[in-house]
Amino acid sequence: MADSITKESPRYPTLLGELRDAPKQLYYRGNWDGIFSVEGGSASGGEKCLAVVGTRRMTSYGKRMTEQIVGEVAAAGVTVVSGFMYGIDAEAHKAALRAGGKTIAVMPCGIDVVHPEYQADLYQEILDTGGLVVSEYEGTHPALYWTFPRRNRIVAGLSKATLVVEAGEDSGALITADLAKKYGRKLFAVPNPLTSAVSQGVTRLLKEGATIASSADDILKYFGFRTRSRVRPYSQVGSDPTPQIAGELEQKIMQVLFKESMQIDALARKLKIPAAQLGAAISMLQLEGCITEEQGKLYVV
Amino acid sequence: MLFKVQSAANSGLEALGVDIEISVSNRGLPGFDIVGLPDKAVQESKERVRAAIGNSKIEFPQRKITVNLAPADIPKEGSLYDLPIAVGIMASVLQYEIPPNSLFLGELSLDGKLRHTKGAVLMALFAKEQGFQNVFVPAESANEAAIIQGVNVYGIKNLTEIAGLFLGKSFLRPVAYQKKEELTEDIEFDMAEVLGQETAKRAVEIAAAGGHNILMIGSPGSGKTMLARALPGILPRLNEEESLEVTKLYSIAGSMPPRGSLITTRPFRSPHHSVSQIGLIGGGQKPQPGEISLAHRGVLFLDEFNEFPRSVLEGLRQPVEDGALTISRSKERVTYPCRFMLVASANPCPCGYLNHPRKPCVCTPREIKKYRKRASGPILERIDLHVEVPEVDVEEFRGNQKSTSAAESSCSIRERMSEARKIQETRFAEESIYTNAEMKNAHIKKYAALSKEAEQMVLRAALQYQLSARSFMKMIKIARTIADLAFEQQIGKEHMLEALQYRPKIYELD
Repeated sequence: MADSITKESPRYPTLLGELRDAPKQLYYRGNWDGIFSVEGGSASGGEKCLAVVGTRRMTSYGKRMTEQIVGEVAAAGVTVVSGFMYGIDAEAHKAALRAGGKTIAVMPCGIDVVHPEYQADLYQEILDTGGLVVSEYEGTHPALYWTFPRRNRIVAGLSKATLVVEAGEDSGALITADLAKKYGRKLFAVPNPLTSAVSQGVTRLLKEGATIASSADDILKYFGFRTRSRVRPYSQVGSDPTPQIAGELEQKIMQVLFKESMQIDALARKLKIPAAQLGAAISMLQLEGCITEEQGKLYVV
Repeated sequence: MLFKVQSAANSGLEALGVDIEISVSNRGLPGFDIVGLPDKAVQESKERVRAAIGNSKIEFPQRKITVNLAPADIPKEGSLYDLPIAVGIMASVLQYEIPPNSLFLGELSLDGKLRHTKGAVLMALFAKEQGFQNVFVPAESANEAAIIQGVNVYGIKNLTEIAGLFLGKSFLRPVAYQKKEELTEDIEFDMAEVLGQETAKRAVEIAAAGGHNILMIGSPGSGKTMLARALPGILPRLNEEESLEVTKLYSIAGSMPPRGSLITTRPFRSPHHSVSQIGLIGGGQKPQPGEISLAHRGVLFLDEFNEFPRSVLEGLRQPVEDGALTISRSKERVTYPCRFMLVASANPCPCGYLNHPRKPCVCTPREIKKYRKRASGPILERIDLHVEVPEVDVEEFRGNQKSTSAAESSCSIRERMSEARKIQETRFAEESIYTNAEMKNAHIKKYAALSKEAEQMVLRAALQYQLSARSFMKMIKIARTIADLAFEQQIGKEHMLEALQYRPKIYELD
């Protein structure tokens, strides 16, 4: 059964309470106090919440960056807030869960509805790991055209800072970003390749003064965490291949992939090796768990 | 007066003898009747024969003419009995001897000329088997019939010619088979023209070498169709037996061109996705071969695989496995062979741009799931190689002409394919199969020995990727072909590893 908390309650998230149009009542499922309690809650009233938003039409780059940055931020102890949509939202939730962090899903529909319903597994996982599902709508209120932007104000309002990963020109993520600015919260954006169709929105935000988040450190510093995190930023990942890999070709492949993930055909051209030979080497590396193929590109694990 | 002329009817790829008895009687009112289960086209032959004889300046007898097509219980169709009927009727007027041991077939034109008739090669084969000496066919179909050695094939241009021949006024030599000049231009797309796509090209080569079915998944414009169209150019030519099988099928389907000769290039069929089940599989009241049979020993290319109606695709299941299809109708049952290589192409999602490096995909996960479910699972299971055909960055190639010219041409690939097929033919000399793709489990045990390392690899992969038993066997089949391409007796580790690259990845089966 869903519980609820009113704006007057002392348990109401402090940061969200600062909003003029803060929801009068919040319905929730999951571990409210473990997250929002000012003393001892992991997010301490929202001070340790990062909203992560972005396009539904995520590219492999966006997926990669979300995994990398959000995963690290969550691992450090920041609670990740997002909107439970597919694309960057879902990826942010997943990254937080994988890193063993906490995550809050703000639903655009009634608290008793899972939207989109095929993400029910993710929904359950969020609850099982001590996360939280929140909505200002009760019961089985459907997700409607106007509930999404309303939901966005909660996502932005709950969090001390907002991170935009990928956003096209008309992305809903920009609404969240603009709200965050309006509420006086910090806005981070992950730089995107300008050739990408889902980069325009992010580029606009950066022009308007959003802070560049090129690694988790940039965000963690803001939250007051010790920087120099366990994982090195993506751009600095070293060029020393794991030594136990046998075979000269395999070594060469790893060296290339460490610098840049690429399609297998591009790799064949770069190394000037026939696809047949390369295929065997790639299979070997995949079986060894050294590289993985995702969305058509090869990555070092 | 009674005249007997012999002809044949076909039922599928089988031919049956038909005796045509023509009775020209002085008693009774003048008339012309055909009996013996003739179909509409045969009934209409009356009018054609009457006009053709008249227009050949031969008097049409004003008597009671009865034509009987025996045996009466097999259905006879088409226009191929025009010539035998006309020969019989003219015999009553011109008083010539109809040469014994001869088979006649051909359609008449109203001016007495003979038209190209389907099934000539089948009839010639039947004639040879049944010990006929002579076959009289339209001149346009004569070369096709002359493929069969050991019978005298006479190509007849018109009724005047055949009358003159039988009256001893003229002389006609049997037709000598003329092999048509092989068109060197049978390569529509050269493999060398396909930019990049090293992996996909390799997969297509493996498929061609071993006769494997292949699924290509990629965004619009990435080159799936071009790769498929380049396939005929790299496939080895048909061997003699195969040629005859294909030629017979095309002859029956009426797809042989006039003066056609033996088909030696592998057929390439690419039906549009609006194809009906009968169009694809074959059938009809008088069962005709469908696209799958016309693709026999060649390629059946299903572009936009997901757009084909499911019911149509499901019909492919059994023919893909068996390589032959029996069409049963109330009046007859016929079997057409259909051992083809299935080449399918599909988009990764409804909008087509999933994983595209520059264009974002606008599909929701649910739409993608639904889209992929549309492809028939059981058919996907029967496809050995799954390969992605990613978008090529044309910019990368624009400044770098070298990499395109370095690509291997279709001609040289074809040579390698022929070598690999030869190895397979020798291997399966004692079996009823030709290619690695046709191997059943028993064959795999017998002919696809894995080296110890290769076995370890495939077992490990099976665990790690949770390969189904069927996928497991497919991997071994592909590895067998890869080893053949490398002229290796035994399947090594590297062959097995490469084969693993072509396991189902995107269109995973639940």
